Amino acid sequence: MSFVCPGCSCLCDDIEIVDGRILHACRRGEEIFEKYKENRAKPMVKGKEVDIDSAIEEATEVLKDSKNTVIYGMDTTTVEAQQLGIELAEKLNAYIDDNSSFCLGEFVEAILRKELPTTTLEDVRDRAYVMVYWGANPFHSLSRHMSRYSYYPRGAKRPRGYEEDRFLVVVDVRRSETAKLAKKNAKFIQVDNDDELVDSFFKVMEGKAAKYAKEAGIILNEMKKSDLNVIFGGLGLKYGLKDLGKFVEMVRKMNEVAPLYFIPAGFHANMRGFNETLFEKTGYVNKYSFKDGKGDVDFAFTSLLQNGKVDTAVIIGTDPVSSLPYDVASKLKEVKTIVIDPRMSPTARVADIIIPSAVSGIEMGGTMVRSDGARIKLEVIEERDVNDIYILKKIEEGL
Amino acid sequence: MALNPMDIYKLLPKTNCKKCGEATCMSFAFKLLNRERKLEECTPLYEDKKYERQRKKLEEMLKPLEEATETGLIVDEGLCTGCGNCVVVCPVHVEKDPKGAAVGKGITIDDPILRVEDGAVKVINMQACRRYGKNRVLCVVCRENCPTDAIRFLEG
Amino acid sequence: MMRFSKFLKVEAEIVVARYALVSDETKSRFEPVIFFHPEFAKRSGVKEGDVVEVEANGRAVKLKVKLSESAPESGGIIPNGIFASYLTNFDGFKRFKANIEVAEGEPSSVGEIIERVKP
Repeated sequence: MSFVCPGCSCLCDDIEIVDGRILHACRRGEEIFEKYKENRAKPMVKGKEVDIDSAIEEATEVLKDSKNTVIYGMDTTTVEAQQLGIELAEKLNAYIDDNSSFCLGEFVEAILRKELPTTTLEDVRDRAYVMVYWGANPFHSLSRHMSRYSYYPRGAKRPRGYEEDRFLVVVDVRRSETAKLAKKNAKFIQVDNDDELVDSFFKVMEGKAAKYAKEAGIILNEMKKSDLNVIFGGLGLKYGLKDLGKFVEMVRKMNEVAPLYFIPAGFHANMRGFNETLFEKTGYVNKYSFKDGKGDVDFAFTSLLQNGKVDTAVIIGTDPVSSLPYDVASKLKEVKTIVIDPRMSPTARVADIIIPSAVSGIEMGGTMVRSDGARIKLEVIEERDVNDIYILKKIEEGL
Repeated sequence: MALNPMDIYKLLPKTNCKKCGEATCMSFAFKLLNRERKLEECTPLYEDKKYERQRKKLEEMLKPLEEATETGLIVDEGLCTGCGNCVVVCPVHVEKDPKGAAVGKGITIDDPILRVEDGAVKVINMQACRRYGKNRVLCVVCRENCPTDAIRFLEG
Repeated sequence: MMRFSKFLKVEAEIVVARYALVSDETKSRFEPVIFFHPEFAKRSGVKEGDVVEVEANGRAVKLKVKLSESAPESGGIIPNGIFASYLTNFDGFKRFKANIEVAEGEPSSVGEIIERVKP
């Protein structure tokens, strides 16, 4: 029997457990299976350990009194739990947001709005020729991405292996581990400013001189050899671009040369699930206000905290103390924080109320959405009754 | 880090005495690297006191040979992220496991050369490697696709 | 013994990137480490194993030095996590300039940063 790894948005579905050994999972994934019993959160209210139901009741009371609540996170839980979280936000007339508003959410949004053409990782494996990792270093962030889905596997229409059947492009501000893999039939472009490369693609297509004209020319020519080429964009791209619109336009224009698709390079296991679930419900992928009935940059978790717009934050399965700048994270002390998390994360350690939950994909089944939009069903190793679904339902019932 | 026969040769007595059974010290150096000969077979190194310093240097130099597998492959798990590039690119795996490793999935054959276990690559069956045995080919595909040198070969 | 470099502050380009080998997915461990490019380390008189104070945006942490050729030539990588987040702002979230100085004592701990975020 195979398990699905809930470690990142690759959602590798071929993990085996044989004689206690975890097979095929990368190091980050393996730790989730191996150590899921370690560093578990305990139910706490204001630093005192309580029983789980008291922690849930206390959280419900806080939410009843709260005037402006934000629900934040849920990128590591299932679509089913995300639906409940969104329901709860609606009932509370609250704000809802996740990591994607400072991660790759705007790329997912452009895909869902059909502004960026996209494809599946299976099609990439079977057919893709040129693959561009732009501002992404999958070796560390999505360790199996290249061996499982993109560059290394033999594909139905790419049977001869990477040296002949693939053309690898790596764009980064540094010579990353992934850049080191760009050898034969490959190109590493070390940029200082990502916009200059975007600009170079435009100029080359217009027949003009440009800073990266040589590289852009080679890539455009290689693209013509295939009916499927792909850009995997990571956080380096997101923070390197001044204008996403210009990048989207570049991809559109390059499609006049040869078919080119975009897949976000990846993120938390079910970040795309959050984006899709909220999009279906509201037409926005993140930073949404049920009170105002729209999404806006002012409703991002980070803006709400910085502008003092909320009095309560429900933080589910994510760790802003580790991931957000100090100027934002330190604002958590000004609001009541309710953390729902399987683990005693740094954020749980500063929370007013901790509600321990189950590890999705290990202790709770359900659905997650892979970085390319494929829906993957999770397996369970050891069911745990108190999971995000139980907790969110209980809070909603108590309101 | 890599060992080469010239560095070994330089520390041998260079007398071509043939006591080890090889015609030249250079040839003995090659065989040492391939682990077909052991350092102790060069008896003058041990009997003649003037070679003592060279012998100690050689012993130090050849230490990795003991840690390495029969094909000279050395895995440093501390540098491995379990990316699985090596498992998927291995030509032997591609041939033997067309529905598993060849298409990027976790390897399905029972006795692969390499497999990612507990988050890092492990050597399972070195005898299946193209570098093993008399008719070996000096294939380095796994190492070439390991960007952190978690996989190395003795000869570099 | 005092080293000359101790008195020098050098400016470094910092890239924040995911690093698979320094943290624990259960969130119980995060290594206080910075990966300098070997050339940068040499130029700046910093050695592998040194502890350096890294200061940016008016905040500072102490990190242990490791070397990596994957780091930017004019600085280093701080793995994506609590130490990098503590130093950074959204303006330059994944890439910023920092001042580096060889420091005495132990690297910062996760607990120390949590304490500063919410005293």
